[in-house]
Amino acid sequence: MSGKRRAASDVALGVWGVAVFAFLFAPIVVVVMSSFNSGRLLVAWQGFSLEPFAAIVSKPAIRDAVLVSLQTGAIAAVVASILGMLAGIALARRPGKWAAWFIALLLLVSVTPEIVDAVSLLPWLVFLGQDLGLPIFNDGIARLVIGHSLFSTAVVSYIVRARLIGLDARLEEASADLYAPPVRTFLRITLPLVAPAVLAGALLSFTLSLDNTVIAAFVQVSGSTPWPVYVLSALRSGLRPEIAAVSTVMLVLTLGALAVVWAVLRRSGDSSNQIARTLAGG
Amino acid sequence: MRKPGWLLAVPAWVWLLVFFVAPVLQVLWFSFGYKPGIFGTHANDVLSLDRYAEALTPTFFATFQNTLGIAVAGTLLCLVIALPMAYWMAAKVPSRHRGLLLALVLVPYWTNFLIRTIGWQIILSPEGVLSHLGQSLGFGPIDILYTRAAVLLGVVYNYLPLMILPLYVAFDRVDPALREASKDLGANRFRTLFGVTLPLAQPGIIAGIVLVFIPLMGDYITPTVLGGARGNMVGQLVASQFQTAQNWALGAAMAVLLILVIAVTLGVAALLAWAVTFPLRARARLRLGEAA
Repeated sequence: MSGKRRAASDVALGVWGVAVFAFLFAPIVVVVMSSFNSGRLLVAWQGFSLEPFAAIVSKPAIRDAVLVSLQTGAIAAVVASILGMLAGIALARRPGKWAAWFIALLLLVSVTPEIVDAVSLLPWLVFLGQDLGLPIFNDGIARLVIGHSLFSTAVVSYIVRARLIGLDARLEEASADLYAPPVRTFLRITLPLVAPAVLAGALLSFTLSLDNTVIAAFVQVSGSTPWPVYVLSALRSGLRPEIAAVSTVMLVLTLGALAVVWAVLRRSGDSSNQIARTLAGG
Repeated sequence: MRKPGWLLAVPAWVWLLVFFVAPVLQVLWFSFGYKPGIFGTHANDVLSLDRYAEALTPTFFATFQNTLGIAVAGTLLCLVIALPMAYWMAAKVPSRHRGLLLALVLVPYWTNFLIRTIGWQIILSPEGVLSHLGQSLGFGPIDILYTRAAVLLGVVYNYLPLMILPLYVAFDRVDPALREASKDLGANRFRTLFGVTLPLAQPGIIAGIVLVFIPLMGDYITPTVLGGARGNMVGQLVASQFQTAQNWALGAAMAVLLILVIAVTLGVAALLAWAVTFPLRARARLRLGEAA
């Protein structure tokens, strides 16, 4: 009797789980399907076609937007990885009073709603670029990189810190005891130890940057519009199937990056749970 | 070797101070200023709290109310949907499949936010899948696009993974032996659930609520794509002051108010949770005391 009831509740939980997955994937499936729509409008299905994918090459506005996104993503990933790696190492190996303040700052960066970051950065970049006359802050790519690197820096710091805390500090101490100068210890011991975490963090930063819409919409300069902002502006003029097609390509790119992250962390000995926590943004 | 290690963190400190702390402080400063005429965006020679009063006039205040309503409802719906889901993943699914299921939850989370919201726009459009389904099932055409209901659906969808993941981690940490023990001691399944499993998963529940509620309050994309004029949220209000109205002072005051509303709501929720669970905790202590 009790066994039967237990089984029934387990079945109910399983049905619920499958239903939630269907819910989670419904809009993604719809977007991917829509990218093969031969019609003029995204919402009205006409027939099957590969035409929308050709737009990535044939339409300069779309091609440029994708290129701006890829370029920004790559630079933002490098910036966030370097800043986050150094900060993560310091947090793990030299904790102290400063670390509590720094973690509080990272936490603030990660919980502040994006819209607040966005409307704060816009006037600030105008101030730096126009009032102080620093030309770098008028550059479209530089502004996007700055906006996209904030959250990513926090993410990389968390990942690197978590990785290094799990590793024995005596490895570095041994190197120092054997008279290796600090720089060599850093390059030969610390860097290889944190490399998987930094690589994972860099790829996450890249995909975070590809996805960033809100901050990008505010700090962007016309002439270097990234892909999501192009889509946002296309909302007003009517969505066409090529938007879905390019989104499908970007989705494949993102999933590829995530798969690499998963593989890298797996090889470095993380469990699925640890990886999931990392991929959920630290 | 023993040099001050925090030096390594200096680049990140500087970067975040210059591009996060300074801009936010500047916006705080702007919020005490005013818009000096049609072409100016802000001026701070006369300081006042007038912009805050302006941001709380009935038109704007309604949007704040609407946003808070959607955020509270959305967070609770996420919690209700995610609790059984996370419990199923952590306790019922064989452990060798759990990694795959986690990856499946992460795919929508990492899909572009705007694109998945557009996916819902396609589904909900009057000629879309849902409407056809409704018609063939005899409900008539379903037309909820550009309403509050569509925004609520959108935010529940968009933030659900952020609720599932911490809950999963929390349930995963609860030792199955504790549930067994509770059963062996004669508790039925509801008492085990409410007396053992859920209290132990409490950190995950709190993390999930915070992770969902904060970004949901500031959401700009979901209401823009699905809300139309009827599903307005504060994020759009702030954005429009900076982008179209060019009234940075008012927009800044709204942004500061948004942060304050978030902080106060979370504070009140924490107090409420503490007050509600107080008798339960007192009883538990009492019973332990009797046993000893």
